[in-house]
Amino acid sequence: MDAQARDHLQRCFVLHRRDYGDTSLVVEVFAGAHGRFPAVAKGARRPKSGAVALLQPFQPLWLSWSGTGEVRTLTRCESGGRRFPLAGERLYCGFYLNELLMRLLGRADPHAAVFAFYHASLGELAAHAEAEPVLRRFELQLLRELGYAVALDREAGTGEPVVSSQRYRFVAELGMCPVAETEADGISGDTLLRLAGDTPLTGPQAREARDLTRALLAPHLGPRPLKTRELFRRRPRANQPQMSANEAEESISPQMNANGRK
Amino acid sequence: MPERSLLKELIDALRCLPGVGPKSAQRMAFHLLERDRDGGRHLAQVMAEAMERITRCQRCRTLSEHEVCELCASPHRDLALLCVVEHPSAVAAIEQATDYRGRYFVLGGRLSPLDGIGPDELGLDVLEARLAEGTVSELILAISPTVEGAATSQYIADIAAQHGVRATRIAHGVPLGGELEYVDGGTLAHAFAGRQGF
Repeated sequence: MDAQARDHLQRCFVLHRRDYGDTSLVVEVFAGAHGRFPAVAKGARRPKSGAVALLQPFQPLWLSWSGTGEVRTLTRCESGGRRFPLAGERLYCGFYLNELLMRLLGRADPHAAVFAFYHASLGELAAHAEAEPVLRRFELQLLRELGYAVALDREAGTGEPVVSSQRYRFVAELGMCPVAETEADGISGDTLLRLAGDTPLTGPQAREARDLTRALLAPHLGPRPLKTRELFRRRPRANQPQMSANEAEESISPQMNANGRK
Repeated sequence: MPERSLLKELIDALRCLPGVGPKSAQRMAFHLLERDRDGGRHLAQVMAEAMERITRCQRCRTLSEHEVCELCASPHRDLALLCVVEHPSAVAAIEQATDYRGRYFVLGGRLSPLDGIGPDELGLDVLEARLAEGTVSELILAISPTVEGAATSQYIADIAAQHGVRATRIAHGVPLGGELEYVDGGTLAHAFAGRQGF
């Protein structure tokens, strides 16, 4: 697998990068066939290298690397197309996708399907599709690929189909359990069925969906909060470039904010 | 057993400088001890004083031994212009290369949520307080054109908009004397999108 990577350029994205030494970079590479791994780009920050402009998040890349240890060494780097032009709130959404991948994907675990829908999601965000359904779809697909999928259209235990008029609540390791109408943090069966059927949601249903995916992700993310959520929650909101502040709030900001606490 | 000598300690200490490895550090130490003891003493004295006294300017967060740096205190600078840069080195570069006569604000980095560098680390509350004073009419963003730089610029531009301050950013494009065919695609795309009347 690694001999192949040395000889052939592989489709990749950079999820994150940081400076290393005076002239090099350490990048977190996400490769379709090889998963996520750190790599050193030696001399990438030298003025004539040119790699520093390419090795950035949201830029499709062709990379080859050598080495068998935990940190590889990049040997070649070419552009795989134009960088996805994410701006404004969509840039935060892009960082959010990257942080999810950094937190949830194991090192060097190949995930060709995740790579494909990550690529597609960036395309949709860049193409000014409604951001929130893109994020919801990405979260659910990611959970499915990692083997953490929860049947949204079936009741936990009984396996009965979800009823659109009934309210449900997600219980970790069980699934969707029916709850009384009065339960505060429930989610309507209608929202669940729409989510399962990949129908875009708006208003309160979008909020319910956001809270649900957050609850679904929480056990796998652990107690450490997502940094992009924190940044997104605190961002200044004078002008609202692509979405309204309210809608945007619903897409990735943390649970505690929804309850009015900080 | 390698002995712990003062000479070795000096060589190790010099290695904290960027680009200085064991060999260069040794050369520097021998040079100072054998040929330039006065220079060495002067360096030590200035270094100690600088490390002790240079802090961040309260207004712009650049490095200065005064509470308010010379640029901020100068009555000859235009109060209406404020240029936001990442590092004090950028202030020096802009001062040397341009005839900019406004003031500066130094962030000390870029927003990088995945590294835990947020608005607080960059002193954006200080910047916001400065914009709230109402003297600034144009905020010039001179931040590196990386993805994180773009996020930082966006964040600051949003703060500026809240305070009704016009935000501009410096042009991105082909370096002077550069040949188009060697310019990377992203820069060329930017340069093309930002073309101007001739």
